[in-house]
Amino acid sequence: MTEETQNNDSDQIAGTNTQQSDPEVTPTSTLAPIASERQNWLKTRVEKWRESGIISDDQSEAIINYEAAPEEPFRLGLRFNRLIVVLATLGAILIGAGIISFVAANWQGIPSIAKLALLIGGQVATYGVAYQLQFARGYPRIGGAIMFTGAAWFGANVFLVAQSYHLPTDNPDLLIWWFLGILPLAYIVRSNAITVMAIGIFIVGLAWKAGTWADGSENFFGVVGILLLSAAVIYAIGTLHLVREKIKFHAGPYLAGGALLAIGVTYILTFAEVFRESSREINNFQTVSSSQIILTSIVTIIAATALAMTYRFSPHINRNSSQRFAETAVVVLVVALGWILITLPLNSIGFYVVAFNLLLVLLIFGTITLGIVNKREALVNIGIIFFVIDLATRYIELTVDMLDTSLAFIIGGLLLLGVGYGMERARRKLLTQFGLRESSHDS
Amino acid sequence: MTPRLKRLFVVVIVIQVVFLLGLVGYREATLIYGRTAVLQTVPVDPRDLFKGEYVTLRYEISTLRNDRKNPDPKKRTRLIGNFNEGDTAYVTLITVGLSSSYSILAQAGEPLSGADLFIKGKVTSSNDGTITVDYGIEQYFILEGRGLEIEQADDVKVRVKINRSGTAAIEALIVDGEVWRP
Repeated sequence: MTEETQNNDSDQIAGTNTQQSDPEVTPTSTLAPIASERQNWLKTRVEKWRESGIISDDQSEAIINYEAAPEEPFRLGLRFNRLIVVLATLGAILIGAGIISFVAANWQGIPSIAKLALLIGGQVATYGVAYQLQFARGYPRIGGAIMFTGAAWFGANVFLVAQSYHLPTDNPDLLIWWFLGILPLAYIVRSNAITVMAIGIFIVGLAWKAGTWADGSENFFGVVGILLLSAAVIYAIGTLHLVREKIKFHAGPYLAGGALLAIGVTYILTFAEVFRESSREINNFQTVSSSQIILTSIVTIIAATALAMTYRFSPHINRNSSQRFAETAVVVLVVALGWILITLPLNSIGFYVVAFNLLLVLLIFGTITLGIVNKREALVNIGIIFFVIDLATRYIELTVDMLDTSLAFIIGGLLLLGVGYGMERARRKLLTQFGLRESSHDS
Repeated sequence: MTPRLKRLFVVVIVIQVVFLLGLVGYREATLIYGRTAVLQTVPVDPRDLFKGEYVTLRYEISTLRNDRKNPDPKKRTRLIGNFNEGDTAYVTLITVGLSSSYSILAQAGEPLSGADLFIKGKVTSSNDGTITVDYGIEQYFILEGRGLEIEQADDVKVRVKINRSGTAAIEALIVDGEVWRP
């Protein structure tokens, strides 16, 4: 969860303002020792701004004093902030897990109506308490965590009602209903945690539903193609969020979810066995049903609309043109390959395997690059994880028949150590570029 | 929070509650106003019997194939139309004599014209003239530890309520001739 730190910032600012009000203290004498190169740079720049009239003497003093504040209390404030968030989130997760396990325990001792009244009433009460704490009483973090619990409670209630009436609970539609119920809530209460939960639930429900359609049917590639297109749509919707300040906050889960789904699906398609086992579909030019064409077209139009709107409005924000075009081109490529997968125009397994292997490499490095450029840690992590998975998979594929097993393990181990060393160096470089420093005691 | 967002917040909560109540209401309406039928279950693979805390149920009407000449009129089955995986099947239950047993007539796509009592299901497989149908009543949730009673029973029937559109809801299990109390 990303968290604001205004509360702690205000405490820090109040401390420095007290110092500032003493008339006998000259501005320079209020300065704390400038400890780092960064702060020296800042002092030089602030002096130039003051001389050129961009900022006043008071403002320059306030900026210097604020930045010169000892880091330890500030960092301590940040850590305390994070501790609150972690505790509240853990508490919320425990409550949510308790509710769900409660559902699984078949609470049948109480009449159905009373049971449902308690659970629905409990859900509404949770929302009420969350609202009061988050928006009325000034406890945004605790309130946000309880709001998250309310959203989880709604999902538990959906499954409980299904269970109470002996409806199949192994039904992905329940997840989709849960997603639809909590997504608007995420925007209204500006909760990144609920957005993450909603997108996660949607992707799991979508993949599950796709799996039930594809299982044992002759429609495997059609379903997987729709999944690939859906990943493109989710990512495109994420980029659309970035053009508006009010909803930019919610972009992360869409971008990460879309990237994860696209890379995950593409990874599955990099294996020749997947195409060989469905060779009957490929040897004949697959006849695509009209309903599938319609569904695919609808998904494509949504993706295209999201991209077009992003492109239309993005000149208003600071975005590098080549990055914007590259991102759009990758999304278009994913959509195009989704269509190729659905229609299977070529009678060549090799073509599809090569195409999706290339796409996987492009997606992995594209995700890492976008994560670095836009400072989105989640994208970097997804890219790196799949890079390692792909590397390990290809290594095993190539060497399983060629090398003695023990030799393969040794070489593989050395390769992994080498990759790990390279990644550790790259990670430190990234942190430096982000302007972050690790504490020396961090492992 | 602005007044507009506050109103939207309330609307979302209300929609969530209405959705849950709607789900409950639809099922309760089926149980109250639906017609009663008693379906005979058939043995299932013991390994599949329990998944966590529910019993997997399979019925005589779960697997259907043309069998119009069966000497036992209660087992005569007729399939009308082409059944593909994912199709909706409407299974008409025709009472045989004065008992609650019936012969079966399954039609794809729509219920048989003039059918008195039919149950709606989804075809999950179709092979060589034999179809498997899911009616949404294949799970029965029970309290932990009580599944053994059902597993060891000689005869399990399920009393269901079926609404006008053919959707069925489980009302009770009848285990060895007696209504099973959860």
